[in-house]
Amino acid sequence: MVELLVDLTLFFMLVTTAIAITYSRHLFGVVMMAGVFSLLSAMLLVSLDAVDVAFTEAAVGAGISSVLMLSTLTLTARIEKPSTRSPLIPLLVVTATGAAIIYGTLDMPSFGDPNSPAQLGAAAQYLANSPADMHIPNVVTVVLASYRGFDTLGEAAVVFTAGVGVLLLLSGLRRRRRRGDTDEKETS
Amino acid sequence: MFVVAVIALFIAMVLVLIRLYWGPTLYDRVLAVNSFGTQTVLFIGVIGFLAGRPDFLDIALLYALINFVGTIVILKYFRYRAIGDVHQTPTEEETGK
Amino acid sequence: MTVIETIVEILSWFFMVSGSIFVLIGAIGTLRFPDFWSRLHAVSITESAGMILLIIGMCLQAGPTLITVKLLLIGIFLFLTGPTSTHAVADAALVTGLRPPESEGLKAEKLDEDDNG
Repeated sequence: MVELLVDLTLFFMLVTTAIAITYSRHLFGVVMMAGVFSLLSAMLLVSLDAVDVAFTEAAVGAGISSVLMLSTLTLTARIEKPSTRSPLIPLLVVTATGAAIIYGTLDMPSFGDPNSPAQLGAAAQYLANSPADMHIPNVVTVVLASYRGFDTLGEAAVVFTAGVGVLLLLSGLRRRRRRGDTDEKETS
Repeated sequence: MFVVAVIALFIAMVLVLIRLYWGPTLYDRVLAVNSFGTQTVLFIGVIGFLAGRPDFLDIALLYALINFVGTIVILKYFRYRAIGDVHQTPTEEETGK
Repeated sequence: MTVIETIVEILSWFFMVSGSIFVLIGAIGTLRFPDFWSRLHAVSITESAGMILLIIGMCLQAGPTLITVKLLLIGIFLFLTGPTSTHAVADAALVTGLRPPESEGLKAEKLDEDDNG
């Protein structure tokens, strides 16, 4: 009962933050609210027992992404330009996608159901065998770093490439702009 | 007891969120995010006790650290208008109005 | 339940409830105070008094385990970083030209235009 109320309150704050983000024109405020959105979703993940995802959310959502967004903001304007297109078509697309996703959840087993397919397949074997196989107490760690080690290695390579790409993009732009600034004083 | 703390933290979060949406200055928003981060750390700690498994405090620890990094990045943004290497100190026209 | 356990329980109740009250006071101040500089003061109540009391209450509840060590680490980090980041925000505001309102009363509305620094 208490947990349900906690989840509902967190969801309420999450939705309010999302609405406030869409209404705000001030990009710096949007970055701040995105940080709060990430904090709220991490709280939700902790309260739903997905601790490893909450860890990722802490490192990526609250840490890296606000840094990246702020360093992007140093390169662009700080006020969003008003959009001239009508919001009708995006609204339709979003509503249809949301309805499809909600329709998809109708078939899902309820939260924490021990008879759901996810619990009956490989998960039971992991739970039974991992202490003897790997001698690591945390099953999630065993699955991510050992049973699916190559998968995780691939993911790490993808994330690393993306990070290097973003860093190169940001630093190159800044240098070019600084050179432009010395040539023709203060164009902005 | 933990329920009391959770309720107090929730009310505090809602109040701080209103300040975050309202503004009016940018620094009010930074302040609200900062305060919200501290409340998040406390909330994750308390919710662990409330659920009877306070073993997940590592996340709260991680958040306590990352929050600080976030605030310092914002400070650098305001002070130098750049996040990466900063070579020059801010001149009059950059900081003044 | 022995006498010591009862005392620890009562102490932990006391710390948790008073910490919650301080967190609430800080949040109400953050919402209600008229300008940025006074809100700065309200936020630091949450980050010092409320945080410390809540963490002490949780430590008493956990007893001498690894959890207490983690809680103390969190407390030390927040104790060091909270005032630092509050100071950082105040410093950024001062550097970019936001000034506390002076003699002619509080003019919170005037601060709106100072957004762009």
